[in-house]
Amino acid sequence: MYRVQLQEFEGPLDLLLLLINRNEIDIFDIPIAQITNEYLSYVELIETIDLDGVAEFIYFAALLISVKARMLLPRPEEDEEGEPIDPRQEIVDRLLEYVQYKNAAETLDEQFKQRSLLFTRGQASTPVQSMKPAQEILVKRTVFDLIDTLRDVLENAPEEPTITIAPQKHSIAEQCEYIRDAVFAQQQVSFSSMVMGKTRYFIVITFLAALEMAYSGEVFVSSAPDGEDFVIERAAGQTFAG
Amino acid sequence: MKQQTFDSSVTLQMVLEALAFATDVPVSAKEVCRVYAEVVGEASSPSEAAVDEAFRALNDSYEIGGHTMRIQYWAGGLRMTTTESVAPFLEAFFRRERRRHLTKPLMETLAIVAYKQPATKAEIDAVRGVDSGYALRKLLELNLLAIFGRADIIGRPMLYATTERFLEEFGLKNLDELPNLRQAEELLGDAAFNEERTRLLMAKGLNMGDGDPSSTTSESKSKS
Repeated sequence: MYRVQLQEFEGPLDLLLLLINRNEIDIFDIPIAQITNEYLSYVELIETIDLDGVAEFIYFAALLISVKARMLLPRPEEDEEGEPIDPRQEIVDRLLEYVQYKNAAETLDEQFKQRSLLFTRGQASTPVQSMKPAQEILVKRTVFDLIDTLRDVLENAPEEPTITIAPQKHSIAEQCEYIRDAVFAQQQVSFSSMVMGKTRYFIVITFLAALEMAYSGEVFVSSAPDGEDFVIERAAGQTFAG
Repeated sequence: MKQQTFDSSVTLQMVLEALAFATDVPVSAKEVCRVYAEVVGEASSPSEAAVDEAFRALNDSYEIGGHTMRIQYWAGGLRMTTTESVAPFLEAFFRRERRRHLTKPLMETLAIVAYKQPATKAEIDAVRGVDSGYALRKLLELNLLAIFGRADIIGRPMLYATTERFLEEFGLKNLDELPNLRQAEELLGDAAFNEERTRLLMAKGLNMGDGDPSSTTSESKSKS
């Protein structure tokens, strides 16, 4: 049984940065109540799709809630020098540090690409043999954009009429096959059209299957500009350089 | 040590070239000196600065002569490589359709270790906000990281550090050559960071207003 690991895509700090960016927020003055609410609405969905990484998202949710609570205190906490402590400091510090290393990772990645243009003698003995050939994760934009779509689609999904305990009808493997058939027939399909009128369970499993396939490089997933739907496309034999 | 017979017209520069050509591991300047002295005689042992100069002179002559090889100084050693300009042809020959690539979690973990080393897993997890166990195992497997020892703190956690192979794969002479960590404050004002924001605004059909983000991006790139 394979499992999609959200952390292979994006973590809680990425989500916070996305929300801050999306709302054009000054990182040094985060409206904590608003961000906490938005953040929690994502965590709720992440929980539904039962991704292993949800624990880390919940940790930050707890941190945000505790900051929100401390912001409500009538008298601000003070440090040893009597200066008021901003409860948001910890979150801001962590975000800033993360931004720094995220950027360093991008710079190193660039360096790595440049370096691999230079061939050494005895190419066969190139040390990075074991390093897989580029396995790009074929998700354009962030996985949170995809989750946005999932949320919209789920809202419109018909309720299951009665609660019956039936064995799970769809496995991720089956749904991968379902997507494979669709993209082979049409080259690209929209997610919402694939799950139109289906049950929540069907939708969620199909969503996971799409992520799984994007991760293994089989399909290419990209959000529509309005963010309301995403398109699953058959990946070409090769990845695009750069 | 008995001196061997050799052609006296052989210069240090030629020895350097021959070593870089014949070996497929980095050869340190010290080793070049040792080899040269062993053949020519201890008395004429060259300084490392002389090796450095010969290395530069060789690359200059390759460039002037329009050759496609260069000598690099990576992981503290000399190494012969091809130039960037012929990369597409070599890629075609070796059928490397797909560029080698490290996933985002791997690259982030590697960056954190590179700058904080030696670093514990807890330190790395704290920066990334997610568990880095898998990424660390993978990087150890690729020999880009190694276990450096254990920290003298509770639990005696393992300490991770980058390897020689890391330097070589990233084309660095030593760790001092790592690009400087940019300040987060500076990055937040950076166009690249605002890309997502720009894209969202564009989607809404709005203009960015002040400042052209693309010009600042290329500027900062060329600097680094």
